[in-house]
Amino acid sequence: MRGMDKAQQYQELRNKTVPGLFLERVRTVPDEVAYRAKKLGIYEERTWLDFHQLVARCAIGFAQLGVEHGDRVAFMGDPCEEYTICELAAQALGAITYGIYPTSSSAELLRLMTDGKACVFVAGNQEYLDRILPLSKELSALEHVIIIDTRGMLGYDHSSLVSYEKLSEKGAEQLASRPGALEDIVSSVKPSDGLCIVYTSGATGHPKGVLISHGKHLAATQALIEHYPVLLERSHRTVVYLPLSNVIGRVAALTLPLLAPVIPHYGEDIEDLNQTFFEVAPTVLFTVPNYLKKFASGILIDIENSSALKKLAYTIAISIGRQHLNNVWEKKRDVLWKLVYLFCRCAVFRPILNKIGFDKVRIALSTGAPLPSQLMALWQIYGLNLSEAYGMAEMGGGIISAQRPNYPRPGDVGKPLACLEVMLSDTGEILVRGEELFECYWDNPELTDEFRDLKGWLRTEDAGEWTADGGLKILDRISDSVSHPDKKRISLTTIESALKSSPYINEAVVVGKDRAYLSSLIEIDFEAVSDWASRHNLPFTGFTGLIQHPAVIAHIGKEIDRVNSELKSHEQIHEQIQAFRIIPGELTPAEDGALVTPTRKIKRKFVYRKFETLIESMYEST
Amino acid sequence: MAFASGYFKTSYKADLSLVETRTRWLFLAILIIGLICFPFIASPFLLDLASQVCLSLIGAVALMLLTGYAGQISLGHAGFIAAGAYVTAILFKEFNAPIWVTLPASGLVGAILGIIFGLPSLRLKGVYLALSTLAMHFIVVYMGAEYESRRGFATGIVIKPPSIGPFIIRDPLVWYFLALIAAVAALLFSINLVRSRSGRAWVAIRDREVVAEAIGVKVPLYKLSAFVTGAVMTSISGCLFAYYRGFVSVEAYSLFLTIQYVAMIIIGGLGTILGAVLGTIFVVLLPYTIDAVGRALQVPARLTTYMFAIQYASFGLIMIIFLVVEPGGLVAVWNRIRNYFILWPFKRRPMGR
Repeated sequence: MRGMDKAQQYQELRNKTVPGLFLERVRTVPDEVAYRAKKLGIYEERTWLDFHQLVARCAIGFAQLGVEHGDRVAFMGDPCEEYTICELAAQALGAITYGIYPTSSSAELLRLMTDGKACVFVAGNQEYLDRILPLSKELSALEHVIIIDTRGMLGYDHSSLVSYEKLSEKGAEQLASRPGALEDIVSSVKPSDGLCIVYTSGATGHPKGVLISHGKHLAATQALIEHYPVLLERSHRTVVYLPLSNVIGRVAALTLPLLAPVIPHYGEDIEDLNQTFFEVAPTVLFTVPNYLKKFASGILIDIENSSALKKLAYTIAISIGRQHLNNVWEKKRDVLWKLVYLFCRCAVFRPILNKIGFDKVRIALSTGAPLPSQLMALWQIYGLNLSEAYGMAEMGGGIISAQRPNYPRPGDVGKPLACLEVMLSDTGEILVRGEELFECYWDNPELTDEFRDLKGWLRTEDAGEWTADGGLKILDRISDSVSHPDKKRISLTTIESALKSSPYINEAVVVGKDRAYLSSLIEIDFEAVSDWASRHNLPFTGFTGLIQHPAVIAHIGKEIDRVNSELKSHEQIHEQIQAFRIIPGELTPAEDGALVTPTRKIKRKFVYRKFETLIESMYEST
Repeated sequence: MAFASGYFKTSYKADLSLVETRTRWLFLAILIIGLICFPFIASPFLLDLASQVCLSLIGAVALMLLTGYAGQISLGHAGFIAAGAYVTAILFKEFNAPIWVTLPASGLVGAILGIIFGLPSLRLKGVYLALSTLAMHFIVVYMGAEYESRRGFATGIVIKPPSIGPFIIRDPLVWYFLALIAAVAALLFSINLVRSRSGRAWVAIRDREVVAEAIGVKVPLYKLSAFVTGAVMTSISGCLFAYYRGFVSVEAYSLFLTIQYVAMIIIGGLGTILGAVLGTIFVVLLPYTIDAVGRALQVPARLTTYMFAIQYASFGLIMIIFLVVEPGGLVAVWNRIRNYFILWPFKRRPMGR
């Protein structure tokens, strides 16, 4: 009976649109808080009615600019209140929105703008305006540029430029004479219409534009909520900080609040993220491994710098926590250990989590990239209920498979969502099929056919395997896996994420295909390593001086040795990293020919090519 | 700023609240209950000490505003207290005036004195200003002494307990609550003052007068307002002290009293209201503590005659120790202890905050 209800619920959602659901929400709970946005130090509350008015003005403003059903609207900027309003407004008109990562290079920006053929570009601030304006001559489809934050815009005089404020003002004028205008427009949007395009990160090639429709996106998000019923249990706070160009960022900021009592909070500036977390103390946290790693590194370094007594307390607490966590994973009930652990948690871990604002988190979900097991275990010891999810843009709600909450054992990504079928191909590649999958690759039917076969199975390009209890385990990119003489597949990703669990290593690229042994290129965490160096009174001048310092190289070597032994004991990987080199510089996605995607995924091929001499030097002696 | 996560303000009104977190509400509740229960369990001696602390606190906070916030050094503090006390005594003796006349009158005289002796501060700085305020002290005390000898109260002026309506304030318990209310009012007034426009202007003047002027602070106005605020509060505390002791005499307003008040704010920690509170408690209790220690150690009787000298000497010694070892005063010590627990298990403020 309940199963029937659920199926019905999905079916209902598939027949709805995002703006339609938005209006429904406005009707049912007009005076409840829809979101809070920090302005000049105050978290201003917006009720659904306020939200509705803001969206309506903006939508009418868009309509006056000539945005029509099926047009594309591109966004670039950090997440903020106005960004969300513009997205919803454009979607209410039936336009298809897509976000461009704020860290994208201009070559990538040009590619996405020509691919999506957006007629309106929404820029977060003057910085993004400066990126788009030089390209505007090449973009014939682009008609208007909207700027949200107009600071620093005194010298700009461009005919196609409209400020968000002006846009809303104009919309408000017309809205005054036609109060129900938004409702009329929304009714013409169909559930099967395109909602947005999400561009894949492009780690294995150019970004692919994934077209997602209204109904499927809603149903897929519902599947995620069903996976985490705690989302419905009470009112939740979440912080909007992930780029909205990412599916999971969009789900957290836009879609989830339509379906569950989740209140998004916008910080004053993305630079103040730490403070925003601290002030808001979210109860739901959607995150990516990079942030978890950054925060954990910060904690580990601060502990390292702490006084002897405090350090001792931490060390003891961690070892107790590790034992307790093992019990939890093994489902062993040991009341005494649990009590001891709870004491440690109150005495040591809660204060730590409190300082970064994570102490109220009920459910944390990491997605977007493989989460190193050690890192996940560390957060679980701290008391963060962290689960890992595996997802891709092609899945309407971003998530394919996710661990159940309550401190799952790291290593797999749990069971696929209820609405999906997952199987492994002969080569070990993960294949996905389900109703909630994307429509097609934008403007590229050949690509769609290449990845999706006639039976509807979609290739994910990821190699996986099933664990004993039916969970899905992601091994690697199918193109990256290295086969060893004994035919055992070595997962470079596993080794790399183990390396990345060191606070001093930001990024690691393991080399080993057709080589005698494994080696690694290391991108250091400059802040952490320079902090370490100054604590050990090592003189250095700048980045280059630091990475050439013999003591620093020795220290990184020691970290790698530690990881080697951990890999041996925990993951049964016996291949050791036998050589390493530190990359002279920091990898950034913003430059042309970047070696990492805007979400900081390594473009392996390019890295190998760029650092060829460095790699060769690691194999020269043999 | 809250030290615990999860406190965000949704309106400017909420941003103005003095107590931000649940923990602080809890501590405040405990403090209030403690202060209310205290007189019922304390001995009369302790009750007297508590009332003294409360009354001194008003003067100490006033000096903190003037010196700690506005940066205007004043050695005339005993003079302001004396002014309040003498206004009370004279009005009582000559016109049999009740407290609701003497209290505002003290404040008024304090304000006048504040303006007159604040004027030099517009030109003078540092030691020169200190000297001019010292002059004020001597003038007030001289006039008080003149009054005493002319009117024949050579040993001092006795004041009857004040009465409000039919109710005569004589019971130490009532005095305690009266002093407590006055002290809390003075504290709230000062806390709100220093976080408002005047407080910010004073701090700007203290930190760099030229810059304060440049950013639009009306330096003469705010210097005078600091003097007037400080003088009014101090004179009122003088008035209350006169009633509390029931006796006004020149000897009580020596230069040593000024030094005690200066000691309160230095030992407490300049530039914080909390410092004034801690410093007052410390300085008021110090002589009694030294006494108690002397008795506990069973100092021979022939040495007890030196007790006064020992008190004076230890006073100076402690001031020197504080200035050398902990210029931030008791507040800095308190902050260090508090930070140890707040930052736990880290040593420094975590990244990004």
